[in-house]
Amino acid sequence: MKKLLVILLLIVAVGCAKKYQKPSEEGVTSDETVTEDVITYKEVDEEVVDEIVVPEDETVLESTLSVEEQAKSVFKDVLFDYDKYDIRYDARPSLDAVAAFLNKNKDINIVVEGHCDERGTNEYNLALGEKRAKAAQNYLASRGISKGRIIAITFGEEKPFCTEQNESCWQNNRRAHFVIVKSRFQ
Amino acid sequence: MKKIFNIKRVKLTCIIFICSLSTLCSSLFTPVPAKIYIDITSPAIRQLPIRINTSGSPTSKEIESIVKKDLEFTGLFSFVDPDVPGAEITADIDVDISEGLKVILSVRDLIVNKEVLKKRYSASKIRPLAHSISNDIYYIVTGKKGIFRTKITFLVNTSAGRKELRMMDWDGSGAFRLVAKGLTSSHNWSQDGRFVLYSSERNRKWKIYILNLQRYREMVLLSSKGLNLVGGTSPDDLVSFSSSKDGSSEIYTVDIYGKGMKKLTKSFGIDVSPVFSPDGTKIAFVSDRGGTPQIYVMGAKGRGIRRLTFEGSYNTSPSWSANGKQIAYVGRYNGKNQIFMVKSDGTDVRQFTFSGNNESPSFSPDGQFLAFDSDRDGTHGVYIMNLYIEGQKRITPKKMKATSPEWSPYLK
Repeated sequence: MKKLLVILLLIVAVGCAKKYQKPSEEGVTSDETVTEDVITYKEVDEEVVDEIVVPEDETVLESTLSVEEQAKSVFKDVLFDYDKYDIRYDARPSLDAVAAFLNKNKDINIVVEGHCDERGTNEYNLALGEKRAKAAQNYLASRGISKGRIIAITFGEEKPFCTEQNESCWQNNRRAHFVIVKSRFQ
Repeated sequence: MKKIFNIKRVKLTCIIFICSLSTLCSSLFTPVPAKIYIDITSPAIRQLPIRINTSGSPTSKEIESIVKKDLEFTGLFSFVDPDVPGAEITADIDVDISEGLKVILSVRDLIVNKEVLKKRYSASKIRPLAHSISNDIYYIVTGKKGIFRTKITFLVNTSAGRKELRMMDWDGSGAFRLVAKGLTSSHNWSQDGRFVLYSSERNRKWKIYILNLQRYREMVLLSSKGLNLVGGTSPDDLVSFSSSKDGSSEIYTVDIYGKGMKKLTKSFGIDVSPVFSPDGTKIAFVSDRGGTPQIYVMGAKGRGIRRLTFEGSYNTSPSWSANGKQIAYVGRYNGKNQIFMVKSDGTDVRQFTFSGNNESPSFSPDGQFLAFDSDRDGTHGVYIMNLYIEGQKRITPKKMKATSPEWSPYLK
């Protein structure tokens, strides 16, 4: 019985001791440090965003491209219909891009080469190619580019882009092609 | 910009193998033939049986072979072997190479058994000499001047965007380079055969140049801005050309010294390829004023423009026949370019080629032959056609990309 009493006394003593500690204020302050942990999570997020800022590096690279290299990506051939020299509706975006480029880079001039497919006769094709080059020149002028900055030249059928005998190749050859000729300040 | 486009006045020292035109003198003049053996104006042409006799030495065999080829392509002769009867005429070619190259030609009419021509030749080169013999035999038989000493200028594609101007004999032999610079295109002869005029693109400028064939010296005839393409020449040394110096491509004339320029047309579209009629009174040219490229004819001063071609939607590259009665041109038919001919009044259109693409017709000075280019055998080559018997043959090598022949006038 004595033994039982001792155990009971011990249990009560332990139980009383726990009950005594619970209302202490220190336990409440330990909850607050948990919310501080949440704040450090935010800081980690911000660090990740910093690392993703790669596009800024790429734009630095782009600005080191020469005007000629930039032009190559901007200048697309303007295509024409068979035996025609009017600017097609679908050719306007590429001409507008050339105009925008020339407006942005005031120090460059361009050559517009007029080309034809091989089916016509040589002399007439030279005249036709010139009409195409001039049509492109006039369109650019209508977009505010001084005609003095655009030299029109024809090569007729003499410098084909491709030599296969089918409509897709002929279409690629019926073109106005843009080349940078000079930078005014270089 | 100035630096790139500033072209120095061209002083072309020869890019040329100087072809010493052989000094060829005939000691006897050719008499007017008393009798015409073959009337080439007659609709039914008969072939004259002829026998050519030579000694059998290599030089005389070579001369014989050239003479035979010349006469054969006319379609007017049939060759009778030695020792075989049937010849109506004989040509004895007696060659002496002991001192230079000397030849005596004797032509006999076997029907009346009479010598109709005896002539002495001396030369440094075999080919021109043989062609001169052909000319004399042809003249005795037909009463017409032969074209066997004439030349043809033509273009050769050497690399992408480069074309050379070359010159060869009418049969394709003896070709050599005249102009190597740049991209040469339209070209033509002065009527006296002393000059070749041509348009060439160099440093992005299309100018018209003139080359003196005696000194092989090139000069600039016209350097207006835009596209300047030479067309033809008149007997009084006018040059017809097209220029876009005022915007659109128009027809002009100027003299051979580059003076007295006259503007003959005024239209929004394309006017190009002007060629004088042989008498110099008219000009045929190409215009798209009617919506498609067609051939038009006007007076040499630009008056009285009338349309000549109405069939098809693409007719270009006119060339006048020697008598001015026909105009050869290129017409697009079933998707291919073919050689057509039309009377200068616009009637009687006839097609002369049927296979491949055939372009750039140019008449021989006697109007009996037509040079043109064709891709019928693959690569473009220069061909000649006999308009009486309609035989056609390639005269440039198979692999050479040769185009745009222009036949010379009669040459001395």
